[in-house]
Amino acid sequence: MSANPKIRIFLTGVGGQGTLTATTLLAKTVLAQGLDVTSGEIHGMAQRGGVVESTVLIGCKSPKLGHGEADILVGFEPMETMRALPYLKKGGLIISSTEFMPPLSVAMGKEECPTIEDIKAAVAGCTDKVYFMASQAIGLEAGAVQAGNIAILGALCAAGELPFGPEALEEAIKVNLPAKIQAVNLKALELGVNALNT
Amino acid sequence: MANPLLTEKSGDTHLLLGNEAIVRGAIEAGIQVVSCYPGTPSSEVPDTFYRISPEGKYYFEYSVNEKVALEVASGATLAGAMSMCTMKHVGVNVAADPLMTLCYVGAPGGLVLLSADDPGCHSSQNEQDNRIYARLAGMPILEPATAQEAKDMARDGLRLSKKHGAPLLLRTTTRVNHLRGPVEFGPASDPGKAEGFKRNPSKFVPIPAFARPMHLALMERMEALKAEAEKSEYNTLSGSGDLGIVCSGISRAYVNDALENSGLTDKVTVLELGFPYPLPENKCLDFLKSVSKVLVVEELEPVVENDLRVLAQKNELSIEILGKGTLPQHGEFSVTLVENAIRATLGEPPVVECDCTLPTLPMRPPNLCAGCPHRGTYFAAKKVFGDDAVYSSDIGCYTLGILPPLQAADFLICMGSSISAGGGVAQASGQTVVAFIGDSTFFHSGLSGVANAVFNSHNILLVVLDNRTTAMTGHQPNPGVDKTVIGENDHPLDIETAVRGLGVTEIRTVNPFNQKKTLAAFEELKDMSGVRVLIAKEPCPLYTRRVYKKVAPQVAYVSETCDGRFECLDRLACPAMYKEGGKAAVNPILCNGCMLCLQVCGHIKAKKRGS
Ligand code: SF4
Ligand code: SF4
Repeated sequence: MSANPKIRIFLTGVGGQGTLTATTLLAKTVLAQGLDVTSGEIHGMAQRGGVVESTVLIGCKSPKLGHGEADILVGFEPMETMRALPYLKKGGLIISSTEFMPPLSVAMGKEECPTIEDIKAAVAGCTDKVYFMASQAIGLEAGAVQAGNIAILGALCAAGELPFGPEALEEAIKVNLPAKIQAVNLKALELGVNALNT
Repeated sequence: MANPLLTEKSGDTHLLLGNEAIVRGAIEAGIQVVSCYPGTPSSEVPDTFYRISPEGKYYFEYSVNEKVALEVASGATLAGAMSMCTMKHVGVNVAADPLMTLCYVGAPGGLVLLSADDPGCHSSQNEQDNRIYARLAGMPILEPATAQEAKDMARDGLRLSKKHGAPLLLRTTTRVNHLRGPVEFGPASDPGKAEGFKRNPSKFVPIPAFARPMHLALMERMEALKAEAEKSEYNTLSGSGDLGIVCSGISRAYVNDALENSGLTDKVTVLELGFPYPLPENKCLDFLKSVSKVLVVEELEPVVENDLRVLAQKNELSIEILGKGTLPQHGEFSVTLVENAIRATLGEPPVVECDCTLPTLPMRPPNLCAGCPHRGTYFAAKKVFGDDAVYSSDIGCYTLGILPPLQAADFLICMGSSISAGGGVAQASGQTVVAFIGDSTFFHSGLSGVANAVFNSHNILLVVLDNRTTAMTGHQPNPGVDKTVIGENDHPLDIETAVRGLGVTEIRTVNPFNQKKTLAAFEELKDMSGVRVLIAKEPCPLYTRRVYKKVAPQVAYVSETCDGRFECLDRLACPAMYKEGGKAAVNPILCNGCMLCLQVCGHIKAKKRGS
């Protein structure tokens, strides 16, 4: 399938946040578009509140991304966005949440998180194609905090770097998510797309 | 609705996890018996078999450890059943004893051993390369690189194993187990009934007189399998350049992407070995003769590389073979790493990785969950023994007790070692030893350690952290559990009775959330000698939520009177707690209502959940 576009997406978040569910939904969306997809995830010890990293690769064979290889970086937590910056190709696209989930050392007052301004500055050193959004707040507005991840995916689909738009994600939500949580997630998708344009 | 993995239809394409694809492959082959011990990154294979087992046509069990699991599968294949046995790489160490002889005895019904190796140690204590085990035991290897291959190789491996009566190793690595990709289904076979055991002692009983010819038979089987590898469609040639690349496992994916990225496709000839052992010598020899230099791309040990060096030497080829040295012998590869190795070999400049520099960010290490009962046990142990005891740890969530402030894990070797290695410390040095072991690990390989400690009069306090499940790998059942996601456990084993049966007389059972009683039990046992056992019994709250469908009715909150001493944060470090202003606070969404913190500081109170 060498006619496929090659797009490498790196996703990162905190264990228990739904990063892997979002990753799988995105991979299913890509597959439903008739595109070649491989997705990778690393979990294990990470699930007890550690960092979770995953990938969705369109038109590639390997499930892994190395430093400097990602066309797109999706961060479900801002400090993890910053930690994952080395994976981004220069000038790549970033979609990131702005809401912190402080690690224990920070909650205990032993260390400090960078501020959102620090993070924006670091990001600006790598790319100017970047969208920040308060995804959990959007999720809550849609009806469930977990739906914030779908808002981020919605924005990703609307940002114009993928070979499909938000309708493809909408379709995947309808096919793959249980009926009782569809409405909330479709709302989150819509709000995510809107957040990109404001 | 029946689970799609069990469908008899072919032609559909599903996005599957590598581990789920393996299950489908086994079903397509007509699998009859599956045994396992869970271990990341293999766990979703048995978990999937387990989940769909009520509708499946195979027998499934979680065995108590890998040795037992392989022995169960061995018996099943001797009875003519197509069998699969799954474990993580270090599990094969536990199963190594039966494995070596099983390969002599053979697998009439077919037997595939799944070994999920973990280059990069994502969730393991070492990076061992189990392709070496296959060489030691004499088993053919298949090594998938995609979800589709994981399915196809599970199916074809079982068929090949049955055809030759040879146990076969399906060797994956974490990236393959945990990748997702499209998988096109083939038709499922109806397994029917196993043929049954046919008595033939000279074939199946390896007393020395029979074992010697069995070894010869094994070597003959390997010759026949070499012929299979020569013609296997999993060993492919592509490209036409002067530089030869040989790759196996997930490295094949990296090589393919690296060549496409760099546009160097026309400068190299690639030999992909999906069926790398026994080595298809003729194919490899033709390949070595067709190129001027070879780069072997394989993660971890130089296994294929050494095979090729031997082959070249035997055939007096003076070709240059590169491998380890050009590429690392530890950790995982990446596309860029492989691309740069190919470039270096061709004399091309390397591509540069991202050069952005970041400040050091706070780490986010995994942690015992909010409301984890182990926190209560560790807290009490540290209060009683402080830094005076040596804390012998074992494999499970509770290993996370190594982190500050609890710091209740001083050393660790392998499953079950907390008791026996702890005994070693005590006997060698006379130091006070407190050993921790989980309930699943206790049944896995703790029982024999207890017997040993009693028999040899070791001086050790053993704490069984009985959270009523196997939490670390995803809450699988073990012999002690009362209930599982698909039903009751008909024969729950009682740890206290087991320990008593092994000759321990001083046993206390406490709920670790009752600090007063737990502390009293520790104090009491501290003053004794010999083998003493404290059973800290309280289910993992995540399991309670999922299986018992229960949540604690209360949550903690910090009252206005908090004086900012932060004893709760500094000594307990429950992830539901944080500092706010000069005071401690509890996040009610994260709080699991264990009520441990209330016993640590009087300024913390309970309230009804949601109030
Ligand atoms: S009761 Fe206290 S220790 Fe237990 S989970 Fe809640 S905050 Fe953590
Ligand atoms: S999963 Fe259960 S046993 Fe493991 S750390 Fe969390 S609460 Fe504790």
